[in-house]
Amino acid sequence: MSAERIYRLLLRAYPPEFRAEYGREMVLLFRDQCRESDLRTLGFWARVLWDVARSAPALRLDAWRARASENTQTSEVIMKLAAMLTLLLGGVIGILNAVVEWVAATKQTITGTHELSLVLGVFASALLLAAGVAMLNQTPRGRQAARLAVLASLVMIVAARLLHPWMSYFSQLVGFGLPVALLIALYWPRRPSLAGAA
Amino acid sequence: MVTKRRAGRSPEAYLPLPPATFHSLLALADGELHGYAIMKGVAARSEGTVRLGPGTLYGSLKRLLQAGLVEERGERADPERGDERRRYYRLTPHGLSVARAEARRLDAMVRAARRKKLIGVRSV
Repeated sequence: MSAERIYRLLLRAYPPEFRAEYGREMVLLFRDQCRESDLRTLGFWARVLWDVARSAPALRLDAWRARASENTQTSEVIMKLAAMLTLLLGGVIGILNAVVEWVAATKQTITGTHELSLVLGVFASALLLAAGVAMLNQTPRGRQAARLAVLASLVMIVAARLLHPWMSYFSQLVGFGLPVALLIALYWPRRPSLAGAA
Repeated sequence: MVTKRRAGRSPEAYLPLPPATFHSLLALADGELHGYAIMKGVAARSEGTVRLGPGTLYGSLKRLLQAGLVEERGERADPERGDERRRYYRLTPHGLSVARAEARRLDAMVRAARRKKLIGVRSV
């Protein structure tokens, strides 16, 4: 098997779009290297393999990131929907749920810790409401404000859960699930840097 | 086809540059070059300490093209290297500003190292 054929096989480690754009140029460059090197040495092939091993995974990651944020319009629509869901679930329903739990609790003997956990739940929902509003304003400052509000809400709901272990499943789902999902969406990488395998 | 990003970022926003990227920009400061000429230029300038393989070189060029620091100048044959057509690249004015900013940054570091007598003095 010729050296060029082996190199063409190694090129399969790169993303298809990258191969289509630069594959021919890479083969030409490899051919130039072959003319000026001794192909029988282990050093030559070690350098070739090292080059593929250090650059292909970084380019695969770049391609995956590019696909993830390919359609900015779609991601903006998704962020708007997430913001509205946050307003509805986290804010309005969350506050209503806390008030209902409060009213139910006042009919029985309510302890101080239970009272405190309900207050924390209301604050956590209010913060989610604020995060939803901040997310609707799709600017870097809005996203930063939303991140802070979601983190604060998560801390409060953890404290409320520790104070009141009998928290309803709905409150736990909204209190923990929604902020975690929002944080993933808000911290999703958007801009690749110059640093890669180079 | 590489999608070029808007060149709205200041040159300092790209710093520090990875060594291979800075070497590629330095090579392209000489004028339009194809991939192999960039590779040879980098190896010569770094005295063999930075060796770019095809994957590392074209990965770096792809990112530089996307950032608008380098642009393609079409394909033509290099008379010294046969009839095959090769893609040529050159620095954009923005790329030149970024290379200058990185050179200034490195220069400031070298001057600081010299003031601390880490370099430029004979070892005893």
